[in-house]
Amino acid sequence: MSEWWDYGLADFLLFSPRVYYRLFETMNSVWWIAVLAAFVAGLVAAGLAMRHGHRGNRVILVLLSLIWGWAGYGFLWQYYQPINWAVAYILPGFVIEAVLLAVFAARPLPLRFGWRGDLTSCVGAGLLVVAFVIYPFVGLIEGRDLIQAELFGSAADPTALGTLGFVLMARGTWRWLLLPVPLIWCVFASATLWVMDQQVAYVMFVAVWLTIFSGWLDLKNGVTTRRLTEAERATPASLSD
Amino acid sequence: MSEIDRRNFIKGAGALGLAGMSASIGQTVPRLARAASSATVPDVIRKTVASTGEKIPAVGLGSWITFNVGNDMVLRDQCASVVSAFFNAGGRMIDSSPMYGSAQEVIGYCLDKLGAHDRVFSTDKVWTSGDGAGQIAETAERWHTRNFDLLQVHNLVGINENLPLLFRMKDEGRLRYVGITTSHGRRTDDMIALMKNERLDFVQVTYNPVDRKVEEYLLPLAYDRGIAVIVNRPFRGGSLTQQLEGEPLPEFAADLKAESWAQLILKYLIAHPSVTCPIPATTNPAHAAENMRAATGVLPDDKMREQIAAVIGVLV
Repeated sequence: MSEWWDYGLADFLLFSPRVYYRLFETMNSVWWIAVLAAFVAGLVAAGLAMRHGHRGNRVILVLLSLIWGWAGYGFLWQYYQPINWAVAYILPGFVIEAVLLAVFAARPLPLRFGWRGDLTSCVGAGLLVVAFVIYPFVGLIEGRDLIQAELFGSAADPTALGTLGFVLMARGTWRWLLLPVPLIWCVFASATLWVMDQQVAYVMFVAVWLTIFSGWLDLKNGVTTRRLTEAERATPASLSD
Repeated sequence: MSEIDRRNFIKGAGALGLAGMSASIGQTVPRLARAASSATVPDVIRKTVASTGEKIPAVGLGSWITFNVGNDMVLRDQCASVVSAFFNAGGRMIDSSPMYGSAQEVIGYCLDKLGAHDRVFSTDKVWTSGDGAGQIAETAERWHTRNFDLLQVHNLVGINENLPLLFRMKDEGRLRYVGITTSHGRRTDDMIALMKNERLDFVQVTYNPVDRKVEEYLLPLAYDRGIAVIVNRPFRGGSLTQQLEGEPLPEFAADLKAESWAQLILKYLIAHPSVTCPIPATTNPAHAAENMRAATGVLPDDKMREQIAAVIGVLV
């Protein structure tokens, strides 16, 4: 008679919005140097993602790897996991993502980031804007204090959103390996925010579908399956596309 | 297996109602609580646990969502204020579950801070299909206690393994009471079968003036079988009192000395002869004290209970 399937989604909401947003307030207060450093690192990575060249690509991947490691430890392990036991099951995903990013950085020819001018690039750039500029401060509209801002690099939601953006901005056959973890997190976060009656849940939900749609477009247009040529690797994306 | 004798139920209900009324004016607080704070703890209505005859305060304290505050020391201290207000107003039963995140640890913190381990009627649950004994040991560690007053199989998860485990613990003197829980009216048939066939001390169900399904069969069965009833979600997780906020109390609330909708709802629940202890949750110490005051003074009779349900039914 041990039936788990008769639980509803709301049964697994174990904390109030007050407690949830206090997590960011506490983390931002206690670890403000690390939070700021991770945010700046993300900004640097985003700036580099708009450019081209192998060196910049490797830096982006290293920064993102460090960011995922920090978000996993700093936010999930230290703050979120104590109030949400389900996080313990997702935490290994953050480790996997950090390792994957590091592996991509270590490859002789890492993913190439750069503006391609197609719809996927637009979606990627849009997600970066949302992750860095809109999502952290949307709480201000809802009356929350600035200290509770969820910043890219430390808070899991904007970090996952932004990473989707980075991956959509990238080229290379294996880039899709980097999508499952942030996608799963976005679904998890969207469900959590939804049962908490937080409107921002829709942002996460829409981001998931936009990413899947863009990935499908790339697949359809051959962007995903086509390996980068030596010429493409050596020349700016705008010239090779 | 005994069937429900409605005549005895109604007869007993009246007797219990009278007992409740007399409790409200004459009975004293439990020995341990009195020893800990005899000057400040007021008299409250207490209900009888039929399997032993022990009387416990008729309002308890839930911890779902409200006590899951993680490592946030500011919020932990707020929880301690809630527990303090609850004890000082005469409360004893605190309920939690391994499912509630950090709530168990926070309760342990509160009891340590208040030096109140001897004042609490400790109520928790086992909620696993795996190692029930291991989970109970972890739960005790989080509460900073060795033994619980009551352990329940949460939502009947792993019931075939966990219920025998709890009975064994009780037989060995490591546990005083055994119970089972459900919520939102789920798995009622399984619940009823267990109530009929097992020697349960407690059941925990969802009940409030809007969710009244348990009145039909489950509450009378509990009375007939001598099983104490804990009521979860008395305010529907807070949504019921939120919906009623701003609405004027009905005139008859003054006769019950109910100062709020929360108190009116709790009086409605306590007045049911089968109900032993609703467990409202709160983050507000004033609300904890207010909830406990529902277990004082006069309780509604059957007619007034129907009026309460009718009024609330119209407003929500």
